[in-house]
Amino acid sequence: MLFWQILIDGFAISSLYALGATGFALIFGVSGVLNLSHGALMVAAVVAAWAAGNDLHVGPYAGALIGVAVGFVASMITYFLIVRPLQQSRKIREEEKEIFILTATLLWGIMLQELIAYFYTNNAKTVAPIVEGVVRIVGVRTPSNEIFTAVVCWLVIGILWLLVNRTRAGKAVLAASMNPRGVTLLGVELSQVYIAVWAIYGVLVGVAGVLLGMFLGVSSYSVGPLTASAFSIVVLGGLGSVSGALIAAYVVGYLETLTAYLISPAYRTIPALLLLVAVMYVRPRGLLGRR
Amino acid sequence: MGGLSTTRVLFIGLAAIALASFLPLGVSGYILGLLTIAYYFGVFAMAWDLLFGFAGEVNFGPTFLIGTGAYTAGILDNLYQPPIWLCVAAGALAAVVGGVLLALPALRVRGPYFGLTTLVAVLMLQNFVVVDASLTGGEIGLTVPDVITISDAKNYEIALWFMAISGAILFALSRSPVGLILQASGQDAVQAGALGFNVTKHKLTAFVISAFFSGLAGALLVFYLGSASVGTFVDITVGVQIIIAVVIGGRRTILGAVLGSIFIIAMSEALRPVGDLANFIVFAMALVVVLKFPNGFFGLLTRSKETS
Amino acid sequence: MRMLDKRAVLAAGATCLALALATPGYAEDTIKIGVIAEAQAVAGSSIPQAAQLAADEINAAGGVNGKKIEIVTYDNHSSAAESVRAFQRAANEDHVNAVIASYISEVVLALEPWTGRLKTVMVTPGAASDVITQNIAKDYDHLKYTFHGYSTSTSIADATCDAAKDLLVNQLHMKSAVVMSEDAAWTTPLDEEYLKCLPNIGIKVLDHIRMSPDTTDFTPIYNKIEGEKPDVIITGISHVGVQPTVQWKQQEVPIPMFGVSSQATNSSFWNDTNGAVEGVLYQAFAGPGVAVTPKTLPFVAAFNKRYGNNPSYCGYTAYDEVYYLADAFKRAGSTDPDKLVDALEKTDYVGTIGRVKFKGKDSPNPHALMIGPDTITGLMLQWQDGKQTNLWPVKVANGKLKFPKFIKVGAAN
Repeated sequence: MLFWQILIDGFAISSLYALGATGFALIFGVSGVLNLSHGALMVAAVVAAWAAGNDLHVGPYAGALIGVAVGFVASMITYFLIVRPLQQSRKIREEEKEIFILTATLLWGIMLQELIAYFYTNNAKTVAPIVEGVVRIVGVRTPSNEIFTAVVCWLVIGILWLLVNRTRAGKAVLAASMNPRGVTLLGVELSQVYIAVWAIYGVLVGVAGVLLGMFLGVSSYSVGPLTASAFSIVVLGGLGSVSGALIAAYVVGYLETLTAYLISPAYRTIPALLLLVAVMYVRPRGLLGRR
Repeated sequence: MGGLSTTRVLFIGLAAIALASFLPLGVSGYILGLLTIAYYFGVFAMAWDLLFGFAGEVNFGPTFLIGTGAYTAGILDNLYQPPIWLCVAAGALAAVVGGVLLALPALRVRGPYFGLTTLVAVLMLQNFVVVDASLTGGEIGLTVPDVITISDAKNYEIALWFMAISGAILFALSRSPVGLILQASGQDAVQAGALGFNVTKHKLTAFVISAFFSGLAGALLVFYLGSASVGTFVDITVGVQIIIAVVIGGRRTILGAVLGSIFIIAMSEALRPVGDLANFIVFAMALVVVLKFPNGFFGLLTRSKETS
Repeated sequence: MRMLDKRAVLAAGATCLALALATPGYAEDTIKIGVIAEAQAVAGSSIPQAAQLAADEINAAGGVNGKKIEIVTYDNHSSAAESVRAFQRAANEDHVNAVIASYISEVVLALEPWTGRLKTVMVTPGAASDVITQNIAKDYDHLKYTFHGYSTSTSIADATCDAAKDLLVNQLHMKSAVVMSEDAAWTTPLDEEYLKCLPNIGIKVLDHIRMSPDTTDFTPIYNKIEGEKPDVIITGISHVGVQPTVQWKQQEVPIPMFGVSSQATNSSFWNDTNGAVEGVLYQAFAGPGVAVTPKTLPFVAAFNKRYGNNPSYCGYTAYDEVYYLADAFKRAGSTDPDKLVDALEKTDYVGTIGRVKFKGKDSPNPHALMIGPDTITGLMLQWQDGKQTNLWPVKVANGKLKFPKFIKVGAAN
């Protein structure tokens, strides 16, 4: 019984991690940016969805859509206002740009966190779930919402895969991640590729955020841990590898779930952290990393 | 840092410190308290600048070193009540040990991985503090039975001179041959290595020095406040404020870090009427500086062409 | 180059000077009460608001022997360190005559030694840690300036057991429970007392779970509890509230929750949880529409009129505190801290949550509130259909027990 409970719960949480981490890996793989405001963008999406339900009294579907839209807008703002100006800045030397982008996105993330706490307090927020009630799977009583979460995550990941591997635009993005200069020789506008990637990222982050809000809820305090979690998963999987991130997400998700159930919920995050330390010592490239 | 010679800077610095040490004569206790915190913060920032600005390592975990020093000192005081200076020394030592333990895995990796290692270190310290609540006070924080003194003026002078001496040492270090090698290693490790310098050994030294000052300052701050908590010494937000201080003041200048710290603390206070948005505004200002004036205040003041 | 740097130094000096000059002086003809609170938190925001309301009412009625009360607010951002700085500023710089501070035990404990170092009276409108008053017993001469204006955890546990006896044992014939609380300073004595008083009323404690306040996923916890088949979950949560409540409903955990859930006392909690709090029972000292004393409802109406929402639980206590502080100043005839302490110790004031009296210096918990049938009893409320309904004590009850469909009530399932 416990086995099935762990299996199902672990799957739901891992799917959420996977969605978030995929976005993070995508941005790094293509744009070369480690977006430290990742957690803040997710929380912004959740709070928007919650506020829409609370203040505007829209239904759960509309609230969710508004959340995703806000995630998208926030992502675009991050790119156009912060990342792109730094990437194109002439006042900073090339080698230092990475550091500046890290610092700037970190700052931006904290700014968003403060803004959210200011308008909506630091109390946890949950989003009205689209799917309510419970179902019984192999005798385990599971909220339908959990199933919904896992399904949507995989749907989105599936669409992303199709997009990248089957469409021309997607293939351009894939190529750009491997060889930016080469791609320009083929006549592809790099700047458009970047915009496309950040747009996709915005949707990913929005959906992941809203799902998280329906499943567990978030507060402005979640911003840091969410970014750290995505960062760790992506490093574990190998910076730049999206499939690596997916696998790592499940490893981390199940490690956490097992720890919470079998040892104690208080120590939930520790084994994953230890694993990360071990991997960085032994195989810094991560599971499937190439950079 | 442009054309300012070391002696000139030290002369101006000394003049500023001398001026500052007369402040308790005319300024309110509240302002003194504010500046006291700013000075300790300044040491945090200078220590961080040594690592970041010079060794070129983006380090998200200054609070790992600071927290280790602060909590060691605080826990020791709670358990055995030894004299304060002993606790402080123990704190500094613990931070150095922590720094070495962190440096060993961290220096094997570059760039984002290094940053992640430092981030993980902070998270693990935070986890440890929260989980081992009976020892560390956990989320509640630790109250220590002793404080150095309750006189605003005395606390201020202690902080001021501590910062001055630390600053002098760190600045002299940055201008010394060791500092120049560090800078070279930071800019281009391969070339530095090719020139025969043991890059790793120098970076490790930078780590140890940074850890020492961070831990020392952290321990002293515990005995100023009379308490330690995750939110004051370990949280990532504090680390971010340190980073901002250095970036605003001007990285790779050591002294810029002090300007940045005073600026941040002063701004937060000046913005008090705005209430809760104060933090947001300070961070926003920092973001603008990062985007538009990457060389910070010092860069503006000295207006040197950044080529070094 | 050299000129520019000189200018920088002068600029720095000028800034310091300007900051110094900007500091205002203080007037002798007002009584200043500093309020240190978490203005961003749902519960904490009521503290300065309620204090200001009380001050304005007292001033309109003539003040304290002619002197007006001035409230000086400091937002501590839920940080102990900032609270210490605020306290130092309040005492040394703004020269307040008393401080009302915080509903977080961590903050109050950090401030307590400073009340002695700076000889400034502090009354707390929240915070349940027993240690606050135990410290006073250990070092009365230094810490007598601290007054715990809210109930200790031990007393809250006792009040919960009293309510449980009527509602859970007598009405629902329950026999077993699991205690579930967050790992925090105030829950240690709470749980200890639960473990003592629950068996005394006939409820066996099957397990005692303490969870990290950082927990976001409560599934493993509920799973474990359900496996032990208790009749009820006795709670001790404050920092967490929305997430465990929402997940409890989503997972349709068939066991009712009863006990302390600080966030459930907020009138916005229904919206915060999208209605998931339906059926949750929580202990409080006040509730909407419940006339605990003749002063309760007029206070709520005035607060609502001025601020547009109901006060949180520490709004009631903060309001009372300004009143009985004013009364103490009057009786002391001076703002001298030691005289104020003597006057406060003799407080016998009917406020909005009951009759306020403090335990004496010989008690193991000096300066703690007296809790009991002729002082303060507390209430037990339940969220029903979007409203907070009071169920206990019976004489001020305005509803009956009602549970959502997924709950299996009564004997062990």
